[in-house]
Amino acid sequence: MNKARRRKDIMRTSVTWISAALAVLVLTSIFVFVFKRGAGTFSWSMLKDDYWSKNYLVAFGDVPANDFALPDADNEDEFFSRKFGFGLADSVDKENNQLMVVTTISAMSPLHEGTITTAGPDQGKVMAIPLDARIRRIDYLDQDNNVKSTGLLGQDHSAEGAIGRLEQEATAIREIYFQSTGGGIRGSIIATLMLIGLTLLFSLPLGISAAIYLHEVAPRNKVTDWIRAAVEMLAGVPSIIFGLMGVSMLFRVTNLFGITTQSVLLGSFTMTIMLLPLIMRQTEEALIVVPSSLRMASLSLGASTTQTIFKVVLPNALPGILSATLLSMSRIIGESAALIFTMGTAISDSPKISQGATTLAVHIWTVMAGEQPNFELATAISLLILVLVLGLNITVKLLTYRINKKWQV
Amino acid sequence: MLAFKVENLNLWYEDNHALIDVSMDVPRNQVTALIGPSGCGKSTLLRCFNRMNDLIPKTKITGKILMKGDVEIRDPSVDVVKLRTDVGMVFQSPNPFPMSIFDNVAYGLRCQGIKDKKQLSATVERSLRQAALWDEVKDSLQRNALKLSGGQQQRLCIARAIALEPSVLLMDEPTSALDPIATAKIEDLMQSLKQMYTIVIVTHSMSQAARISDQTAFFLLGELIEVGPTADIFQVPKDKRTEDYISGKFG
Repeated sequence: MNKARRRKDIMRTSVTWISAALAVLVLTSIFVFVFKRGAGTFSWSMLKDDYWSKNYLVAFGDVPANDFALPDADNEDEFFSRKFGFGLADSVDKENNQLMVVTTISAMSPLHEGTITTAGPDQGKVMAIPLDARIRRIDYLDQDNNVKSTGLLGQDHSAEGAIGRLEQEATAIREIYFQSTGGGIRGSIIATLMLIGLTLLFSLPLGISAAIYLHEVAPRNKVTDWIRAAVEMLAGVPSIIFGLMGVSMLFRVTNLFGITTQSVLLGSFTMTIMLLPLIMRQTEEALIVVPSSLRMASLSLGASTTQTIFKVVLPNALPGILSATLLSMSRIIGESAALIFTMGTAISDSPKISQGATTLAVHIWTVMAGEQPNFELATAISLLILVLVLGLNITVKLLTYRINKKWQV
Repeated sequence: MLAFKVENLNLWYEDNHALIDVSMDVPRNQVTALIGPSGCGKSTLLRCFNRMNDLIPKTKITGKILMKGDVEIRDPSVDVVKLRTDVGMVFQSPNPFPMSIFDNVAYGLRCQGIKDKKQLSATVERSLRQAALWDEVKDSLQRNALKLSGGQQQRLCIARAIALEPSVLLMDEPTSALDPIATAKIEDLMQSLKQMYTIVIVTHSMSQAARISDQTAFFLLGELIEVGPTADIFQVPKDKRTEDYISGKFG
């Protein structure tokens, strides 16, 4: 082999190597980025908490001061009230606002048992002040039984100031006004599950039936080819256009159900249309794999075409249909553009089918779209989405492997 | 008595004239073998008997196939689904459904809407006995049929076809995918089955045709060259081409 030829060969091979390495590198760096930024915020409480913080006014019925021991754990930032057995620390929220946060509560502290006095469904219920609660005001009684407040914004809204006042003057604690932390994604998880359920409910029967029609029933002619080509092209339409179609056309359909806003139902209608090509394609692939000798056998035994489809072809195409379902689920989890239009961008803590809500992906959009983007929460949700989507895709790969093995006898 | 009477049958796949003016009789309760080189139209003729050719688009057929004397099987009044329960078929390679042995044999009956468990299990047992498979599988009827050996699978396919009590059994090279022992078993089986059923078999093996059939028809390029009692065809063929074929001058 001459030198020039060898040099060329080496050059060409290295191009393929570099390209492959680049792909792996990009995937890895996405993972490293998401894990590094998101893993810190990712927690159980993030999954189960509300997104919106709530205000609570909790009354303690003038519990007199006691003498609590200082907590064992030494926390430099914490200021501890020995009279009422709780510690506060200064902090800032994502928008850089000054906060006063509860860091410790002693076992016998009166803060464990207060009564909610804020108007609403929870009024009158017994509630403990949670850790991480953002204290906005503490009302107490001084030596002369006058009601006084501390920790007010703009006055002494600092752990040092508030605790100092309590330790100096307070004889009994009356009320605490605080805000729950928020920042959780429970509502968006529920909305995502709702959307997946509804979308699959509509799209699977439609897509599977259409695929059966195209592959098993329809005559092989121009019209069938045309339908198939149309479906393929539908798969190439950008999702934001489906979103537009959703708000302009499908909105009228949801209107018939008395829904006048963006809603989970509207989102699921839009996703149904979007997923039809995927489900039809996957199902058709699964139907193609079923050996035609089985169809022949069934027909030769006096089964009708319909019986053949439902008793022989469909059961054998089931793994393929299952993988279509899983792929659809991962598409729904990952979709954002179409849903911003059809389900809105307002995060809801208790989503309803007839109301707008955000899926996990749109939740990311919402927290990043404000003036103060919340990078930590966004990457933590990304982490969740990545894990879910990868899990689904790996399952599909395993399923496909099993189908191929099954017919390789 | 005749099972089928074929009169001037012509068949085209698009422009390909696959059967040219075929006329022959298929007598009842006998084995009729269709022989000839690949592409001679023997399988095509076989598929005419249960109208499986209907499934192939752009097929054109002229002529007549009369069943039981006077029923033209392509007449619009003939229900093709019913015809196929009366004319069973066994394919070249075993094609059991990926379900249990029992469900395979009961498939045809269930498609007819028969749900009575007693009747089903009685028919399954009778069919498996007739197909000489009962003793091998009677303890494992719920096993997946794909777990059986190739020869067992083919006998299961025969059992599946005769479960419907057809009058005719079509066999499209039923042993070409099997080993010699399994082949011998199926050939024995055919001898006992012809007491109850008319058998039409397509085969590539001339020795098989000679062993098992009562009547043989030789096809070449879509034409029926010669048909007659098997002994005559193999010993005193009337046509030169038949003689050349069975003596192995072309294949």
